[in-house]
Amino acid sequence: MKFEKILRVNNRLGLHARPASQIAKLLRNFSSSVFFTCNQKRVDAKQVMNLLLLEAKKDTEVHVEIEGEDAPSLLEQLTELFDSQFGEALR
Amino acid sequence: MSVLEKEIRIQGTAICSGIAIGKPFLFLFSEEHVPEFIVQREEVSEEIERYRMALSKSKGEIKNLQKQLELDGAHEGVLILDTHLQIMRDDLITGYLENQIRSTQKNAEYVFQVIMNDYEKQFSHLSDQVFRERIKDVQDISKRIMKNLKKSATISLADIPVNSVVFASDLAPSEAAEAHQSRVGAFVTEFGGETSHAAIIARSKGIPYVSCVDIQDLSLIKDQWVIVDGRKGEIILNPTDKTLSTYRSLQYQLDSHLQNLKQKGALKAETADGYQVRLSANLEQVGEVEEVHRFGADGVGLFRSEYICLSEGKFPSEEKQYQIYYSLVKQLKGLNLTIRTFDIGGDKGNHFFPFEEPNPFLGCRAIRYLLKHPEVLQTQLRAILRAAAHGPIRLLLPMVSEIFELLEAKFHLEEAKQQLKGKGLAYCEDIQVGCMIEVPSAAITCDELAKHCDFLSIGTNDLIQYSLAVDRGNQGMSYLYNPAHPSVIRLIQMIVVEANRNGIPVSVCGELAADPRFTALLLGLGVHELSCSVRFLPIVKNAIRGTRILGACALADEILRMSTAKEIQARISKAYQHSVPHDLLHNI
Repeated sequence: MKFEKILRVNNRLGLHARPASQIAKLLRNFSSSVFFTCNQKRVDAKQVMNLLLLEAKKDTEVHVEIEGEDAPSLLEQLTELFDSQFGEALR
Repeated sequence: MSVLEKEIRIQGTAICSGIAIGKPFLFLFSEEHVPEFIVQREEVSEEIERYRMALSKSKGEIKNLQKQLELDGAHEGVLILDTHLQIMRDDLITGYLENQIRSTQKNAEYVFQVIMNDYEKQFSHLSDQVFRERIKDVQDISKRIMKNLKKSATISLADIPVNSVVFASDLAPSEAAEAHQSRVGAFVTEFGGETSHAAIIARSKGIPYVSCVDIQDLSLIKDQWVIVDGRKGEIILNPTDKTLSTYRSLQYQLDSHLQNLKQKGALKAETADGYQVRLSANLEQVGEVEEVHRFGADGVGLFRSEYICLSEGKFPSEEKQYQIYYSLVKQLKGLNLTIRTFDIGGDKGNHFFPFEEPNPFLGCRAIRYLLKHPEVLQTQLRAILRAAAHGPIRLLLPMVSEIFELLEAKFHLEEAKQQLKGKGLAYCEDIQVGCMIEVPSAAITCDELAKHCDFLSIGTNDLIQYSLAVDRGNQGMSYLYNPAHPSVIRLIQMIVVEANRNGIPVSVCGELAADPRFTALLLGLGVHELSCSVRFLPIVKNAIRGTRILGACALADEILRMSTAKEIQARISKAYQHSVPHDLLHNI
């Protein structure tokens, strides 16, 4: 199964180390492959160091490609994570 | 690669004489320096395993930190460290890195460094300041992994390429101890003095060593020949063909001279006119006894017993010490064995002290330490007394500066005898006791000390350092450290005169005894025994055999009237050149 979706970075500081590691931590529980594209860079989203290189600031739109058996539930949880602003909104 | 065009000569401090011509090997040069070397194909998986261990150790450290933060209620910190743990799972520094080790066959530190540098470079192109700052997390992790990787390093001097000139910031004694003569051509270090343990080990192995070399630009050191002249304390980078051939022929002459001397082990240590000298060995380890026999020494003039504690990190039990001393005395087959009680303190064995002393060389060293810890002293004395029941052992007390120290030590000796008697163990009742004369106060009052002991032994290294008030490890001051200083020569004469007046033998066991240029002078002053590292035995024996005792006495008289170290140095060098012209190691 393959999905594509645009997710928006909503938190104030963008995809810095902590959100990036939360993303990677989540994705690593799934077998599907996940690629993020933004700022003309396409990276394996399971790697924190790659995500940092995306330089995805607040309001950046990230093009997400997911391929694999557990893609639907992965997409659902990933969307939730983005929406929750990686827990930063709570502070 | 830019090729150096000019020969570069760098002056350092000569620590161990000799000449080496080899290829450079940068050995943990500094914290920033990352070693680079080839990993053999069959050792690649071991190298990867080493990396995994370092990574897993780093993770463990982070998890422990997290636990600590959790206990402290620092929840934010816990989350930040969570990012570190996630980053450590990244493919870049796991799978990809392992593949790189496989494909490049380079060591993990190097591969790791290349990958991280590359990553940081990509990072530096980011336009956003806030994002660029995030590299700090990655750097933090990277440092941690590198630290653990270096700690696990199996890079030891035991298995580096043959004939390497090892460049290091400083050398730990254990590193020097691992070095093998066949692989390490020479040592070149930024720090480290002549009296450091590494220096003593290098000297006993005969590895040329130059320290205090200021190498500002490591990139100067290319994969080209390096010449180390341990006689002059000079290193030559990118030597010209002419320099190379000069040094090759010099090296050849030196080697054949030494080989020639070594074959004369059976000859007596006597002067050309038949004056008998006792030539003994200084030992740090039991393993060198075979050479004591091979080079025809008269025994062991100084066994540095503290080395058995330094290698163990604690004071060995009576039984363990007894086994070591017993094994020595047995192997010596009737030759004399002089055991010096533990000389710790100063720069040796600082872990035995609960706090750091502001000035350890003027602090609780050697006999001072032992008298403050009578249980340590008596344990050692019992072990020595027991071993002395099986062969001739003499007891030597280090760093005595006051007569009461000698008397107190003798009191403990009697205690130890009583304890052994009580247990019904065999021991030597009338062991000979001697004092090291290595502090000016002891030298000046040695007439008093001589009345209460059976022999004296002059430790020139410390006697010089304390007389001249110069730390020879101090780069800026080492020019003042001159064994030929008239004060030193006159002190030695005083000691010898008092020993003779009291009818007890006196030996010289410092480094002065190993320098053949001083041999005639020492004999002329009336020294009966010289004791030096095993390696120098053939050289010193040759110097003795090249000396005439009457000429030596005249030389000593002449030198005692001289007023400067420079004059004395020149005079003894000239005399030595005259009697042993072939020794290019000392005739520079």
